[in-house]
Amino acid sequence: MSIFTPGLVHTPVTPFTPDRRIDFDRYAQLIEFHLQYGAESLAVPMHAGESVSLTDEEQQALLEATIRQVAGRVPVIAHASDSGTAIACARAARAEAAGAAALVATTPNNRSTTTPMIVEHFAQIAAAVRIPFFVHYAPDEMGAPKFNTELVLKLIERIENLAGLIDSSQDWQFMISMILHAKRRRPEFQLLSGVEYMVPAGAVGATSLFSSLAGVAPLLVKRLYDLCRRETYFEARKPQEEVSALRQVFKNEGAAGLKAAMKAMGRDCGEPRRPLLALDTPACEKIAAALAALPFLKDEPRGW
Amino acid sequence: MSIILKGVMQSTVTPLREDFSLDTPTFERLLDFHVRTGATAISWPHHKGESLNLTMAERKHFAEVAVKVVAGRVPVSIHVSALALEDSMMLARHARQIGADAIIAITPYFWRPTSEAIYDYFVALGTSVDLPLIAYNSPHRLGAEFTGDLIARLIERLPNLIAMKEAGFISEKFVEIARVVHAMKPSFSMIAGVEFLAPSVPLGCVGSYSAAGAICPNLCTELYEACISGQSAIARELQYKMIRLWDLFREQYPSSLKGGMVLMGRPVGPTRPPLPTASRERQAFIAEELRDLGILESEPHGW
Repeated sequence: MSIFTPGLVHTPVTPFTPDRRIDFDRYAQLIEFHLQYGAESLAVPMHAGESVSLTDEEQQALLEATIRQVAGRVPVIAHASDSGTAIACARAARAEAAGAAALVATTPNNRSTTTPMIVEHFAQIAAAVRIPFFVHYAPDEMGAPKFNTELVLKLIERIENLAGLIDSSQDWQFMISMILHAKRRRPEFQLLSGVEYMVPAGAVGATSLFSSLAGVAPLLVKRLYDLCRRETYFEARKPQEEVSALRQVFKNEGAAGLKAAMKAMGRDCGEPRRPLLALDTPACEKIAAALAALPFLKDEPRGW
Repeated sequence: MSIILKGVMQSTVTPLREDFSLDTPTFERLLDFHVRTGATAISWPHHKGESLNLTMAERKHFAEVAVKVVAGRVPVSIHVSALALEDSMMLARHARQIGADAIIAITPYFWRPTSEAIYDYFVALGTSVDLPLIAYNSPHRLGAEFTGDLIARLIERLPNLIAMKEAGFISEKFVEIARVVHAMKPSFSMIAGVEFLAPSVPLGCVGSYSAAGAICPNLCTELYEACISGQSAIARELQYKMIRLWDLFREQYPSSLKGGMVLMGRPVGPTRPPLPTASRERQAFIAEELRDLGILESEPHGW
């Protein structure tokens, strides 16, 4: 299996019409925006794309629409997580058949999973495909048991096409220990950062970045990523702090906040799906005002 | 009232005799060893120094020893955290009397205080004594933590708040605290707990309170030098080496560390209960790891 390094991965939101159907016309526009502004890969639909609020058919349709629109310009990574292993396996197989370059899955939602359950879940999903498979560790979002190095080594032992771990824990103790031992077992194993804290992640060995903030400030995210890939981390400190300041503006509002921020930048992708509620007008205005007060956003693209 | 904190700073262990009483001559040797092998500051007693298992009288006695032995060669800070704020304030006043250079304090123990309670605690402590104050953030251990907003309020209120030992080891939290404090007070020193320097130095961290310095001071210095000179690939490899040591010592901390010191020819006695003392089997395992890491050959043996 050749090594697939995703690089700077944009994770688009899912635009909805006012009656909450997927707005495919707007989505095509959004994909073009991401391609124009530095995406080296796309991953769809991640949590920023409200994956858990989409039906199985909608997830497949969105993936196929992405692959059609991208038309081979960058790799498309399919997100296949589900609470049920069999459902995730079927989704994974369909994604590969549709032309996905790689697959990503998180721990099962809302389950009291144990380590053996997690290993089995991922092993079965990975076995459903031949493309590279990435595990996404996002403890704050998923409430799963804490990963440790031993668990990752078990996954490597079981899963031949396991290409790497996307880390959203941001935990230095875990990241450093895990990548050290994982690379000893499988030298091509990759650490990818699941959040835009690329300076510390890159310094300890991360080579790719999954970014939802690229929908708001793609130039800033690219500047941060490029400096980190060149390992000029002192220079990257400023864009790192700017990205962090940007994230604080709407991170507590989740996907609704991200969409409000994109709207403030002139890229209206509609409101989120229930159970997420759209932010009310004062909350949207507050986010817009906060973004307007960030001087480093002045060069970022407005509109499409 | 100005000190510069940077580089590999050592928070020393507490040497004990076999009957668990304080071993003053060994403590003196240890302090001197750290200063001679490159420590840029000394701090005692962090948790590694078994602060929670020492009486107030013992803490005052060894604080006096530390200031006397170091004798101004590098700054000495005294960890004053205690269950009762009154004890902390007493230890702080004592640190001032004996000529310590700074005090360090963690978020209060046991109660899992709110942000407002942490603010109140630090204002009470910081205004009680005319010494630089170092805040100590260790959310894993205590479940209470500093945020950028909280430390900003404290910097505004306390001109003597000069630094933070950050032992959360989470990217976003570190970046947010560093971003806020450096915008307000560029001279503020962010110091990494343990030796997590590769991820933190590019973010403005000035050094570390070392965990492994009593075992491998040369490696600690090499890592710091690689980080501050921007040699990322070397720094990463050294950080990987260091994580193996941290994974080794964090189990039964600081018992395993004391066990490792025996192997390096610097025995410092047992660890006070309820912490265990490293058994012969544990020491044999540590010896194997140190040999595999090349520590036994590359680091100083004895005092």
